[in-house]
Amino acid sequence: MLLWSTRSKAAVWTVAGVIGFAVYLLPMAVIIMASFAGQWNEALPSNFTLYHYTQSVQGDSASQLFASLVTGALASLFALVIGAWAALALRGVGRTWARLLTPVFFIPSAVPSVSVGLGLLVAFSQPPVLLNGTIAIVLIAHFVLISAFTFGNVSAGLERLSPDFEQVAESLGARPSYRLRHVTLPLMMPYLLAAFSLSFALSMGELGATVMVYPPGWVTMPVGIFSLTDRGDVFQGAALTMLLVLVTLFVLVAVSKVPTKAAAQR
Amino acid sequence: MPTASLAAAMTQEAAMTRDAASAGTRVSFDKVTIAYGSSTIVDQLSLSIDPGEILALIGPSGSGKTTALRALAGFVRPIAGRILIGDTDVTNLPPYARDIGMVVQNYALFPHMKVEENVAFGLKARKAPSELIKERVASSLKMVGMSGFLGRYPRQLSGGQQQRIAIARALAIRPRVLLLDEPLSALDAQIRRNMVEELAKLHRDLPGLTVLYVTHDQVEALTLADRIAIMRGGKLAAHAPSNALYRRPPNRFAAEFLGRANLLEVQLGGHEQGTPYVRADFGGAILLANANPQLRQGDKALLCVRPHDLVLRRGEDHDNTIEGTVHNLQWHGDQHALTIGLGDDSIVRVVSAPLREPPAPGTTIALHFAAEDATLIAHEAA
Amino acid sequence: MATIAGDLGKSVAARAGRRVAGSAWIVPPLIIIAALFVYPLVLIVRQAFTDADGLVSLAPLLDVLASRSFAGALVNTLEIALASTAACIVLGSVLSIIFSFVPFPGVAFVARLIDTYIALPTFLVTLAFTFIYGSAGIINAGLMHALHLQLPPVQFLYSAWGVVLAEMTVYTPFIMRPLMAAFSLMDRSQIEVASSLGGRPSYVLRHVIVPAALPALLAGGSLCLLLTVNEFGIVLFIGAKGVITLPLLIYTKAIQESDYSAACGIAMINIALSLGLFTLYRLIIARIGKANAAVVH
Repeated sequence: MLLWSTRSKAAVWTVAGVIGFAVYLLPMAVIIMASFAGQWNEALPSNFTLYHYTQSVQGDSASQLFASLVTGALASLFALVIGAWAALALRGVGRTWARLLTPVFFIPSAVPSVSVGLGLLVAFSQPPVLLNGTIAIVLIAHFVLISAFTFGNVSAGLERLSPDFEQVAESLGARPSYRLRHVTLPLMMPYLLAAFSLSFALSMGELGATVMVYPPGWVTMPVGIFSLTDRGDVFQGAALTMLLVLVTLFVLVAVSKVPTKAAAQR
Repeated sequence: MPTASLAAAMTQEAAMTRDAASAGTRVSFDKVTIAYGSSTIVDQLSLSIDPGEILALIGPSGSGKTTALRALAGFVRPIAGRILIGDTDVTNLPPYARDIGMVVQNYALFPHMKVEENVAFGLKARKAPSELIKERVASSLKMVGMSGFLGRYPRQLSGGQQQRIAIARALAIRPRVLLLDEPLSALDAQIRRNMVEELAKLHRDLPGLTVLYVTHDQVEALTLADRIAIMRGGKLAAHAPSNALYRRPPNRFAAEFLGRANLLEVQLGGHEQGTPYVRADFGGAILLANANPQLRQGDKALLCVRPHDLVLRRGEDHDNTIEGTVHNLQWHGDQHALTIGLGDDSIVRVVSAPLREPPAPGTTIALHFAAEDATLIAHEAA
Repeated sequence: MATIAGDLGKSVAARAGRRVAGSAWIVPPLIIIAALFVYPLVLIVRQAFTDADGLVSLAPLLDVLASRSFAGALVNTLEIALASTAACIVLGSVLSIIFSFVPFPGVAFVARLIDTYIALPTFLVTLAFTFIYGSAGIINAGLMHALHLQLPPVQFLYSAWGVVLAEMTVYTPFIMRPLMAAFSLMDRSQIEVASSLGGRPSYVLRHVIVPAALPALLAGGSLCLLLTVNEFGIVLFIGAKGVITLPLLIYTKAIQESDYSAACGIAMINIALSLGLFTLYRLIIARIGKANAAVVH
């Protein structure tokens, strides 16, 4: 509706295509190629092999995959529970309190991840709570960073939810806990799942805080990939990156396919 | 020198107005077909709008009337046919090169611009000199009665005011053709009535302006239009001056779409000597109706008479009489509406000024109408 | 009369009581955030003012502020963030306008594909860049071969420009989201009427479309600024000498030099900068309304 001649439209689409390809498709394609490459001396890689992938499910790489998955699942779950809890609870406080407290739950995402890691390192390397060198500190770091996103997603979903549902349920005699379990949460399910997906993806890619607090026995994939590329093992790094992407996408798709019985009224 | 250029601009302006007033611009659709994929929206439409006239394009939803207007504006490209504005074939011209003005249902005023900048938009886009812009903005706003609103923003105006600004904005560029796409549909009923009168006055004040007016409101069409075109399923179903189209509908669809119609199934007899009328046999009763040159004696036909032409008390020229039973009676304040069942199980509607003693449902009554008010139409199934 | 008033008073009190009980639910999440987030931040501040002997002092902080590495990192951080945000705004605007106003079949799918980049780790793009723009990458190898050069001609990757390019790729979706949302809310007939009045595409773009985009650009731009100031993974992976940003400096000081007081001092300033930008972002959102921003948060 802005351009009228087929010629100008074609020109614009070509420009968009070139930009889109160069900026977004090329990096993806290159990583995929590199993950299968044995050698890359010329302009294009050669000696295609599956070696990197087979390596990535053994030994160190396998334990990194495990660490990332467990951290992602646990941190996301915890972040979802706390984020949703906060979002739901904020509905029950007065308007001034709600306005004051909402930013508090958003701020953890505004602070740089390295600083969050540093803070946890400093705080829990000394009494009263000693956590440095444990897996828990990594989980806590991820949790803090992604709790704001779950909170935001769930809050947005709650705003869209018509108050009619809960009011009708209340008028029919349902107590708050019953309403929560049988009306609010089922209607919020799509938002809860979306929040979980996003948190999981963010956790899988988290580097800044993890690199500050991780213990030697709990190396996540991003940290592992950095070590690989830092010492020049770029093809292996590419393969591990692809594995990370595929696993993340797989979980995202799997979660989106979870049947939700009630689609919330928009 | 400012005065010289202003004078030059005004002379050019006066010349354009003269041209417009004397010539006007003809608009033609020449076998225009518009289709998306497998569905045809407009099917070989051939229609012309005379210089300086208002043509109302009406029809049910999906009839293609809005698409036809958008094709004339240039937002939709036909797959076949030509569109001409004046002598120019505009079919392949982009909208900004067609010299048209457009007013849409939801006004589409630019929210970040004041009224003055809105109205000046087209002139600024065409790089008109600033004195001309100022003068045109002032005169356009005066034409729509919104002179004091230069510095306001659209959000500060009511619906009717916004639509007037939208009209001023379209007129400021002195287009050859003005397109109105359901311009009054978003307004309240009272404001709509006032706006119809204002549009009629505008048309009188701008005799050289050719107007295409798309609407689903028949009252607007009948009030404003010189001619009316009815579209149905992408095709042109009827096209005639308003009065003629209403009083002498050419086909069943036109009869039923524009106004309400009673259609009696008749068999045509011969010409009634010394009159312009023809005899029509309605289940034994002989009725007189205006002759239709396309129908001959012996043909089956439909006799069309409007509800407001049927009366309960016979007057001098009410030559025709039919009898029936009152099924239903409704009072609408300024009128009574009756539904009468006839012998052959058909229904006839009657609208009259409020009756002091309305007949009760179930009573038998006689209805009368003048032969002059009866039109014959070719027989078609409903 | 007395009993009615009494009943009324009781129900008001009961509702207030329910209110208080209802608001108590917010406390557990607050405690968790306080313990896991606020407490560490407080300790960062405390550590920033603690010198090597464990005493409270301004010295560590003053040392940090005076050091060249800090000044350089601060300047780098701001320059890179501003350049990246500007690049995101340009690229995001171009793509959003094309997707919204010159649509092609499958445009929604393409937009979603670009949007998925938000879920990917930021270092992925950087890793890919080494293969494309690196010394032994596609472009250099191709140019060297075609033009018979001895040294790789394209070297910008190992500089701030490499960081900017990577951040542009990763953060442009944050501009495109609110922009395309704003465009979809826009009344299309405005563009059509503007064209019919005589506006050529460039004129309509400048006078009708861009003004409608400004609020979303402001919101998306301030979010981009915040995110690029905080970015760590890309800078780490580029690993170029001289390209040190505040987060990377914190990491170096803490992990490689074990100078926790300096690290905390820098972190304090980094956090203050981020919180300032975050407040700016929230203020902009509040002014222009949530609908205009299609807020991610």
